Amino acid sequence: MSAAGTNMNCEQYKEAIAADPSESFDGGALHSAECSSCNVLKAEMRALDARIATALAIDVPELAMPELPPVTAEEKIVDLASRRPGKFTTPVWLALAASVVLATVIGVRMINPDIWDGRGTLAEQVIAHLDHEPRALTVTDVAVSDRKLYSVVRPAIATMDRDVGLITYARSCEIDGMEVPHLVMQGEKGPITILLMPKEMVDMPISLDGKSIEGVILPVGKGSIAIIGERGERMNEVETRVIDSVKWSI
Amino acid sequence: MNSSNADLERRQRFDRLVSVWHRDMYRYAAWLSRDPSIAEDVVQEALLRAWKSLDALREEEAAKQWVLTIVRRENARYFERKRLETVDIDNLTASQAAMLAESSDTDLDDVREAIYKLEDDYREPLVLQVLMGHSTKEIAELMGIKPGAVLTRLHRARNKLKDEVGEGAAT
Repeated sequence: MSAAGTNMNCEQYKEAIAADPSESFDGGALHSAECSSCNVLKAEMRALDARIATALAIDVPELAMPELPPVTAEEKIVDLASRRPGKFTTPVWLALAASVVLATVIGVRMINPDIWDGRGTLAEQVIAHLDHEPRALTVTDVAVSDRKLYSVVRPAIATMDRDVGLITYARSCEIDGMEVPHLVMQGEKGPITILLMPKEMVDMPISLDGKSIEGVILPVGKGSIAIIGERGERMNEVETRVIDSVKWSI
Repeated sequence: MNSSNADLERRQRFDRLVSVWHRDMYRYAAWLSRDPSIAEDVVQEALLRAWKSLDALREEEAAKQWVLTIVRRENARYFERKRLETVDIDNLTASQAAMLAESSDTDLDDVREAIYKLEDDYREPLVLQVLMGHSTKEIAELMGIKPGAVLTRLHRARNKLKDEVGEGAAT
């Protein structure tokens, strides 16, 4: 066959068309236009896909809607509206070479001191902890070492897939009297804080909602994971990646 | 807005979400679990969880990925709780067999059984791509794997199906 003028050979095309019969991959249309055998293969794959689609479309029974419990505001949202970006920026952050610190998640302690009277709810403790370590929220492309990461996310606590994203901060912290890996991953909009809490059970996701940040504490097995990022971050995708990358050992 | 109006709007938003996506939720759950009765349980749990965390869904265009993510987690929780054995195609329960009930179309039955027998890692991306119309990137995000791994699984899945059921003809 002749595939002159294309960047794809037949072997590459065969793999690609079996993965994506719509032929949306680069160079695919050009190759199949010039290669008759691959053009036939494309037609075969599309015919197979039509049969797969029909087979997958099983009958759907009539929906039995579950009884929906009332959801109170307290259950759904922990309000971070009082958080003010930039309230406590300090020059030392600007002095960090080749990096910028986002000053978005700071200031609760002074703005809303009443939540510090006791240990507070888990959500309050999570929010409080963000202020405790503002340097964690550095925008950087320097990843923490495997050694550092896995000394914090210890096998006795959890295993974590490094492919979850660019992790630039890792430290063992304490929340509610328990050791909690505190990680920061770089997102599209800025740093994303992740707190792995293997022993903190929550019944349902708890939203953390602020002017410039948003997040959630998700129930995961017998524990929970807090994920907090900049507003506008595609948090659903981040949550999926994080949840899928973590497995509790406890 | 008073709270009863807010509650009504919330309920209406949820009902819209369910009416649009519950079929996809069920089919995804069914092909993940390979058992219609488990799929119904998983969807029920997923709907409850979606209801409770509806306010976390901020962009309607993300709704499909959001509900499918919830289904995926609920399915994982279900199997974590039940610790079910691997499905043996020759000893299906009545519920499992219902997915493979013979139709008047022999080719359809053959393809459905071949998909049913695929390993989970191959079947799931195929369902997401063909049935849900997900892109490779969306599948990778949902499954928590790299796009390259998605493509590898998809081409292996189709090649296995092709070996199993032949080229046949499009219906």
